[in-house]
Amino acid sequence: MDPLLYVFDVVVYVGIFGMLALSLNLEFGFTGLANFGKVAFFLIGAYTYGLLSQIGIPFYVCLIAGASISAAFGFLISLPALRLRADYLAIVVLTFGEILRLIVKNEDWIAGGDWGISVSRAISLAGASPRVNALVNIGLVYLCLGICFFVLQLLANSPYGRTMRAIREDEIAAEALGKDRAKYKAQVFMLGSAVAGVAGGLYAQYLQCVLPGMFMPMVTFTVWMMVLLGGPANNKGVLLGAVLVEIFDRGANIAKDYLTLPVDPANLQYILFGVLIILVLFYRPQGLLKESPVTTKALELVRNDRSAVKSNGKQ
Amino acid sequence: MEETLLKIREVRKRFGGVYAVNGVNLDVKKGGICGLVGPNGSGKTTLFNTILGLHKPDQGTIHFNNNCINNLAPHQIYKLGLGNAFQIPRLFFQMSVLDNMLVAVRGHQGDKLANSLFLREKWQEQEKGMVEEALSILELVELDKLAFSPAGELSGGQRKLLEVARGLMAGSSLLLLDEPAAGINPVLGKSIFQKLRDLSRNGTTFFVVEHRLEILFEFASWIYVMDKGKTVAQGEPQQIVKEPAFYEAYLGEG
Amino acid sequence: MTINWAQVLFNSVVTGSFYLIGAVGITLTYGLSNFPNFAHAELITSGAFIGYMVAEQLGLGIPVALVISFLCTGIVGLLCYRCIFQPLAKKGATIIHLMVASIALGFILRHSIGAVWSWEPLYFTSTWRAFTVGPLRVTWLWLGLIFAALSLATAMHFVLVKTKIGKAIRATSSNPELALASGINIDKVIWVTWFIGAGLAGIAGIFRGADTQIWPMTGWDAILPIFAVAVLGGIGNFYGAIAAAFIIGLAENIGVVGLTILGLSTTYRIGIAFLILIITLIVRPQGLAMLFRRT
Repeated sequence: MDPLLYVFDVVVYVGIFGMLALSLNLEFGFTGLANFGKVAFFLIGAYTYGLLSQIGIPFYVCLIAGASISAAFGFLISLPALRLRADYLAIVVLTFGEILRLIVKNEDWIAGGDWGISVSRAISLAGASPRVNALVNIGLVYLCLGICFFVLQLLANSPYGRTMRAIREDEIAAEALGKDRAKYKAQVFMLGSAVAGVAGGLYAQYLQCVLPGMFMPMVTFTVWMMVLLGGPANNKGVLLGAVLVEIFDRGANIAKDYLTLPVDPANLQYILFGVLIILVLFYRPQGLLKESPVTTKALELVRNDRSAVKSNGKQ
Repeated sequence: MEETLLKIREVRKRFGGVYAVNGVNLDVKKGGICGLVGPNGSGKTTLFNTILGLHKPDQGTIHFNNNCINNLAPHQIYKLGLGNAFQIPRLFFQMSVLDNMLVAVRGHQGDKLANSLFLREKWQEQEKGMVEEALSILELVELDKLAFSPAGELSGGQRKLLEVARGLMAGSSLLLLDEPAAGINPVLGKSIFQKLRDLSRNGTTFFVVEHRLEILFEFASWIYVMDKGKTVAQGEPQQIVKEPAFYEAYLGEG
Repeated sequence: MTINWAQVLFNSVVTGSFYLIGAVGITLTYGLSNFPNFAHAELITSGAFIGYMVAEQLGLGIPVALVISFLCTGIVGLLCYRCIFQPLAKKGATIIHLMVASIALGFILRHSIGAVWSWEPLYFTSTWRAFTVGPLRVTWLWLGLIFAALSLATAMHFVLVKTKIGKAIRATSSNPELALASGINIDKVIWVTWFIGAGLAGIAGIFRGADTQIWPMTGWDAILPIFAVAVLGGIGNFYGAIAAAFIIGLAENIGVVGLTILGLSTTYRIGIAFLILIITLIVRPQGLAMLFRRT
């Protein structure tokens, strides 16, 4: 394989999974919602994109549709569990992901069952080399990633972001301070699902297919790994996490071709993943980068005043 | 005639087979500090949580500002102007002291999803005033130097002060305070009550549970006594100490 | 199409028995340690493989396999708790962290099993002679499963009500602080519970494996209805779990009939447990617990 294309491939994967990591960070990192079914919303976005693009709808409409349908499902599925403890939501969403995969696997009429359907690239320049096409895809993915990052940063650094954190810390206290926690959680869950839906659409058009095997629970777990490793409630941190986990994943994949191991390398990779997660939970549960505090103009003003006073005092 | 802000009639709340609150009747008049005293386990905190909407009363009615609030969710009750400070501080420990204060703001424009993204100029102006207010309250409880430290780094007494300060933050018309002076030094405890009295002259009403009777009786204008889930006596501080029910409630504790 | 309702009912009892044995561990450890252990699925799988090894590879027969599988899986479960969950909880891990850890642990166990044995399905070679009783088609395996569930229910009832450790489990589950204050060694109670719960998962694994096939996903395939049983029964509530196991067993088997009539795949049977889970959360999130005051 063209080594440059391989690098491009890694870059695209980091972009798509970075979006998933941002969306999980919104839900888990900031708001404390345990979404163990991230892959379900990724799947919805991908299948929506695949099915709509087949009937000739432009790619940006497909992406938006994927985001909306994903958000609608996110709303419906989270509804019963939002007033309950974090573990109930975890069980419900995890189960939902499994059932969704079962459905697309069993129902051939939806999208080809086990064999899936092929999807065309969002933008393909006629006569361009694979490298150029890959670059175009990188551009598209990183444009979407950039927009998501920008919006989520705005959200995190606003009174809304403050309320999200408050709900994570103590939802009863937040409720007693006038925050309708069910409303906030539902909105966050919808927004997170929408971002995952866009990521799914990008994934489908990049791989040029959708099939059930792309949406195993492992996807969810990989995204959790990125968020926990990089730093929950820090959007830059989870992007760093996405880069590190992807490199780890690729590295293990390459290494296994050169090493002769007594253990099947595919198994070993999952085992290492599990061990790594547990090590992170034990030794660095706050992640590599610390939580970023709420930053608004008013807070910045006070902070600057104070540091000015301090430095004057020293003189 | 004085206006009644909080009207509670025959409220009962049961856990398992036991009534924690078993027939409470009381009126909190507008203005001033109203005290609620009684031995441990007499149901004061349960009553507060029931008023706040954290528990639904099994029987009885609770009116606030002539609105029946029995079946409202806690955040709706808060928005009507009924604030609170918990007995055991429930702070947002990973957030800064100042952010803890700002969560309590009512009607912050940026607290809505769309506004937080699109109306940034508007709420950022609004927030400047709120930050000033928060800092002035923090100054009062001597926490302004720590405004940017995480609440989790505060000592036990400071946490209690922040809990009370957060309650004062929102400009509630009625504020329920559960033992505001517990666990902090007596001088500061007294100055908190002085501040409460100042604020009450500006129209805020306080309904306070307090075990330090010497401080409470100095500042409160009316006292209710609870025992075994019931209100058993009421009166001005000077009268209440002469009430037999008051002594019975405390001596019955053993 | 004529439906043999007696068979449907019998099958429900068989399914319910499996869910009961599989769910006891999850509901009791969930109640005591306050988080759902997703690696419970892999404990079921471990039990199936250990049972396969003892019964088939070593040729010692199913009864011996049940005993050894119970002990080995029990020890694995206890080690998981002692070496991972307990220290994590002591370090202040949140319920979400504990759930993530349990999923990670599940991956480790599942793929270790895949590495030691294989991802190709394995089957018990002993065939279970089917015979008919009136309108029913029955195998000894199914009768064994029902017998095991009944003995479990009786034994657990006896343990919970009569023995010191059982009373301690109930006390700790309903009020840990009070239990601690009254001199109960909470750690010991929790360890015993994790051991027994995991051991029973192992037994459930053998029955499941003998009835269908054994592969690293054996437990995962069954975990979702088992969670539904724990939630419907009321978390930490053994008597609720008995009722819930048979309710979900019945609903699933009736559902399978319905799916067949509609011409849909019977793999959707886990969807039925999911529906029950959702309805429980909407209507009665505390589960059936208050109907069974005992625990």
